[in-house]
Amino acid sequence: MQQAKHKQHQQTAATAPTAPAPMPTIAVRKSCNPDGIGLSHYVLMDKKAAK
Amino acid sequence: MTAAALSRADIGPAFIPVDIGHDVYAAVTDPSTAFWALVDKTRIQEELAGGSLLDAYRKKVGDFARELHALRFELKPSGVYLNPTERCNLNCTYCYLPGEQRSNGSHMPHETLNASLGKLRDYFRSVMPEGRKPRAIFHGAEPLMNKEAVFSAIDAFGDDFVFGLQTNGTLLDDAALEFLTSRNVSIGLSLDGPFAGVTDATRKTWGGKSVHDKVLAAMEKLKGYGSWSVITTCTTENLPYLTQMVELFHAHEVPTCMLNTVRCTLPGARGVKPADGDMAKAFFAAMDRTHELYRETGRKLMVANFANILIGILAPTARRLMCDISPCGGGRAFFALAADGGLYPCSEFIGLPRFNGGNLLAEGGVEAALASAAFQTVTTRDVDTFSPCGDCAIRHFCGSPCPAEAHEMNGGMEKTGAFCEFYKEQVNYAMRLIADGKANDYLWDGWDEDTETIFNHVLN
Repeated sequence: MQQAKHKQHQQTAATAPTAPAPMPTIAVRKSCNPDGIGLSHYVLMDKKAAK
Repeated sequence: MTAAALSRADIGPAFIPVDIGHDVYAAVTDPSTAFWALVDKTRIQEELAGGSLLDAYRKKVGDFARELHALRFELKPSGVYLNPTERCNLNCTYCYLPGEQRSNGSHMPHETLNASLGKLRDYFRSVMPEGRKPRAIFHGAEPLMNKEAVFSAIDAFGDDFVFGLQTNGTLLDDAALEFLTSRNVSIGLSLDGPFAGVTDATRKTWGGKSVHDKVLAAMEKLKGYGSWSVITTCTTENLPYLTQMVELFHAHEVPTCMLNTVRCTLPGARGVKPADGDMAKAFFAAMDRTHELYRETGRKLMVANFANILIGILAPTARRLMCDISPCGGGRAFFALAADGGLYPCSEFIGLPRFNGGNLLAEGGVEAALASAAFQTVTTRDVDTFSPCGDCAIRHFCGSPCPAEAHEMNGGMEKTGAFCEFYKEQVNYAMRLIADGKANDYLWDGWDEDTETIFNHVLN
């Protein structure tokens, strides 16, 4: 384990530091026919349960 | 089109950056269409200046604008909240209905309830697509104070409506439970504390007796039923116990709960209103605990008011609650019928006579109410048109609820609701979950089965 750590250290020292690649952009939108009627005094979230 | 709008059209859509408090991601939004994207902070300047994300969005901006406009301005009502009585056997600190009505009010006569449902059925048939049933929710005051009329109506109109019942749970005996569950009526309860000392601070009988154990007994009996929920109204009295609250709900296998901010429409509620920052801290701790419980047991406890914020971001048209959209659903997606036959945009307005849109059984009925000045005051409340909402990046994820409390507490329809900063923090929290790939953990399985993905931009 110590040998492996030493080797890794040598590799790191020999390579110029690079900035990490940017994380992927996330952008999602879904759509359906609206039929919500809930209010803060009552809600039924699952459409199937209401049928 | 105004000069400003023409100018915007020339330039095209632009993004607003939002710091969501995430280590890696920031959000960019176009609030006018409820569009959002999560972008690596190191790349945010180039995305704001233009790039493949903006190019992809430009191709869709018209579709998104039309979709949001239809959701905000073109819905027809598909649900009604029915108050079959003015009376309640409890005297909760924050109730939005006047105490005089709840203590000495009247029941809606059985014949009037049936005549009302007949007229409502005919109205909904005229505006809803064939094959879709409207929802009719018996609501409070306490609907089971007029149980015989309610149950008779459910049997008489079972083919015409999908029924629900919001109750304080104290009158939900075995016979009532058998009646309701055998007819697949959705049942909502209310409980404010993980133990009696906390619940009793805001919810008790007129004589000051605790109802905590009765609600727990009803919850125990509802275990395994497919369609029930429990509402907790968050106040200064129970805020330190929200995490224990969700632990209790999860242990009782509650499928769905709401941890609602107290509605500050009437003065009594304002005395137990938590500060936005305190509300956010306790709420997110409770949300984090629901996630831990899900990871430990594989069983979700849906916190519906938060799930609705998430859905409003991921799929604006799939939202189930219609409070967090502007104009809100009151008088558009649903309306309320008071025990005296009066029509109101929402139950929240029943104690405020100026919002009475007329009597259901009078000439004109629902159509006249929808067109009334009383309803229009609510249905034209548009966050695009007043400050500070008009410049807010998240205004169509929030909707600045609630118009009743904006009007009564803050002085007008063109005012914010009671918990502006808390809503901003909720949206940030939701965005962080999306960034971390955890959003589905907070939504019920299959929530998006009826949806179509209309935008899915991944830029590596």
